[in-house]
Amino acid sequence: MKAPLLDAISQSRAGYSEIRLRRVWSTTVLVRDRMVEVAGAGVETGGLARCCSPDTGWGAVGFSGTARLDVQLRRAHELALAAASRQPVSLAPIPIRQLELAHPLPDDPREVGLPEKRQRAESLAAELYAADRRVSGVRVLFRDEVIETWLATSEGTWIHELRPAVSVALLVVAEEAGNVERSLGSLSARGGWSALAGIEALPPRVVEGAVEQLHARPVRPGRYPVVLDPGAAGALLHRAVSHIARPALPGADADVLPMGTRVGPPCLTVGDDPCAEGLRASAVCDDEGTLARRSVIIQNGVVLGHLHNRETAAASGQAPTGHARAGTLRGAPHPRATNTYLAPGEGSLDDLLKGIRSGVYLSDVLSCEGAGDDFAVRAARARMIRDGRLAEPVKGVQIGGELLALLGRVDAVAADFVWDSAAARCRDGAAGVVPVTTGAPHLRLVDVGVGQGSA
Amino acid sequence: MIARVLDVLAPRVSGADLVVKTDDTLTVAISSDGDSRVTSSRSRSSHLRVAREGRVGYASTEGDDAGELIGHALAAASAGGEIELFLPAPAPLPEVASRSPQAAVADVATLDGLARALLERLQRSDRRIEVWGERAAGSVQVANTRGVLAAYEVTLAGVGAVVESIGAGSAPPCRVHSAASALPALPDIERLVSEVERRLLPPLLDSCPPLPPAMPVCLAPRAVATFLRPLRAALAGYEAWLGSSPLRGKLGERLFDEKLTLVDDPLAPGRPGSRPIDDDGVIARRLALIERGRLLAFLADLEVGARAQVPSTGHSWRHPAAAPRVGFTNLCLSPGIEGRATLLTMMGRGLLLEDLQWNGGPNPLAGSFTCRAPWAYLVEGGMVRGRLDGVVLTGNVFAALAQLGAIGNDSTWVGALCVPTLLVEGLGVTLR
Repeated sequence: MKAPLLDAISQSRAGYSEIRLRRVWSTTVLVRDRMVEVAGAGVETGGLARCCSPDTGWGAVGFSGTARLDVQLRRAHELALAAASRQPVSLAPIPIRQLELAHPLPDDPREVGLPEKRQRAESLAAELYAADRRVSGVRVLFRDEVIETWLATSEGTWIHELRPAVSVALLVVAEEAGNVERSLGSLSARGGWSALAGIEALPPRVVEGAVEQLHARPVRPGRYPVVLDPGAAGALLHRAVSHIARPALPGADADVLPMGTRVGPPCLTVGDDPCAEGLRASAVCDDEGTLARRSVIIQNGVVLGHLHNRETAAASGQAPTGHARAGTLRGAPHPRATNTYLAPGEGSLDDLLKGIRSGVYLSDVLSCEGAGDDFAVRAARARMIRDGRLAEPVKGVQIGGELLALLGRVDAVAADFVWDSAAARCRDGAAGVVPVTTGAPHLRLVDVGVGQGSA
Repeated sequence: MIARVLDVLAPRVSGADLVVKTDDTLTVAISSDGDSRVTSSRSRSSHLRVAREGRVGYASTEGDDAGELIGHALAAASAGGEIELFLPAPAPLPEVASRSPQAAVADVATLDGLARALLERLQRSDRRIEVWGERAAGSVQVANTRGVLAAYEVTLAGVGAVVESIGAGSAPPCRVHSAASALPALPDIERLVSEVERRLLPPLLDSCPPLPPAMPVCLAPRAVATFLRPLRAALAGYEAWLGSSPLRGKLGERLFDEKLTLVDDPLAPGRPGSRPIDDDGVIARRLALIERGRLLAFLADLEVGARAQVPSTGHSWRHPAAAPRVGFTNLCLSPGIEGRATLLTMMGRGLLLEDLQWNGGPNPLAGSFTCRAPWAYLVEGGMVRGRLDGVVLTGNVFAALAQLGAIGNDSTWVGALCVPTLLVEGLGVTLR
């Protein structure tokens, strides 16, 4: 594809021109209860041609297929001239690189036949049923994909990359005496099927989650100290910090974390690391060709930096951070989080629980939703903490409230950092959906409203 | 491509069908500082299903390589689900307006003008506003090895805005939009403006007398569209016929308030879900789901129908690189006779909810919910007194729909849903 891309770029008369072309091979196997419901394969090919004219701004054309790239770019230039920008649009400079990253895959999921994937999915479904007599329904979704990307710009950037990813998502329904509960769990990894280490632990955990909820009592609403497991802490910090640690996206939060502001205690250090090895959202370069780098957003409780693409970096006088990500095949790249982390502190879970007479331990986050600076985290699983120990399961646990107030209630961070390998995705306004990963240790907050969604 | 694919497959499979969709979308977005950006997106996707030796497989592509598409579909069928699939035979297509010629050719200047018209009507010094205008023009071709070969064209056009009041005590940003086959006209824009003013103008109530644990609530159309989510999930596809829907096995029973009538109508003219035929090649038809509180039907496509031994209702949707799904077209809740003002008066002391921040919980099908209502307004004596901050709503959607206070006559299209204001008695309300 190199020749047609470079040829189209060379013909463009815009100030800045860029073509991103992507081919996505994917297979999906869905087993519902004991039946295969879907076995499918797809090949999507398409991309985005965009041009920037300093006086009028951006014009962008999304397209299917690989034909007539010069025409797509010409149309993007026309649209750029039809736009209107009051301030001249500039792009922060980046080192120009030509990178060939499309190496042969040692564990290519395209080499594994669909019958084998079906067999694995059916085995997992059988395992879920066998784990507990109260399991009344299951859903097993296997998905793999290989994404080949070509990126060329009029500045001379050329990148060719091949990225495989696999994921498994499980849903278990448990029933007893008319009570019905569900539990979800997933695993994802960058690479082929052998990259899904630890998948054996997933089915029993999901079944346990559903069965445990059958006998869980609703949490008594009130104010408690709350300890979040690493998965929940990561999800909270992703939603609370990453979504406003970059300029506003179309249709999304307009608020931005103000630089230099203290938003939490000294034990709170949050960043985003697209270079973390082996994670699904990791990348060498972002979708504008900027070398990805680890960015600290909050250092010891104070806002230190934002996530940027080239345009937002130039507008704010910062360097691009390599976080320009396209949420769809034909979407424009916006600054988005990749692998958000909460830096480890000191001590263990036991240390965080110590001294809590009555509190709530929250794990397996179901959703983090927000509107403005108000948001809510809903737990899929939770336990009471009594006299410094984990006690009975409870349900209906939700924490939330005003974002900065919640960060201000962080009072301890443990040292037991782990990356969460769940197949998490981030939806953000019109910018689309991107896979994300979070990493965190256990985290403790004080005086948090629990249940009914209060903070 | 359609004929080539089906000709190759016909002698090798027991059945095959193919959906080819094209889309040409043009968007003009104007940011809060007045800058505009223009984006165009053109796509063409093909979705093929084959039935072979009792198994069904899917493949999709955005390219023109028919051989690759066929190869992937046959490979998928070798691992596909065991199902006896009966493809539909050709039949006359019903008339339905799904395309507007003006919308199909709307250019940057037209969309920019519409977006700026909305912006001008909303603009105030204490607001941050983003607006956009968009039109999509496309085509759908559906064919199968039994001889179905149907095609229709679609357009979808609209304007929208995200409006945020700046300053202490202001409401969270509100997002409004309109979407239909035709370009929005002045009344459509005025409707959006009215909604924004209703949501942003009432002042925040600094102090509120204690609220009882349960109150009557008026759900405005945008809130109703969100509130109906569990019901929609419970009425559709596998879950309804064979899965864990609470409505499963209850067809014919009176489960809801007799004021409730719900219809899915693909033949409603010029709406986002309007179409003459579904993606399985089944002729589209109006389907009464609930009539005067009695549950009459569930949605099915060919595969769910085959598994449940029922006919398809023509509700198949296929998208590239995604599993086919059963989905609604245009869902319409029949209006009542009272105006919105009458509903507010009937409510006495209660809450008006313009929108909900949905949080369906671990078992969305069960209907239980705890959700925030950032756009909640205290109503007393039929008058809106002001906005309340921190309202959390709890209850069960199915229980609420079984005992409705009243239904308004103000049916409003929210995307592909046409819903009026609902007066619901006794939802749990807490203030944080």
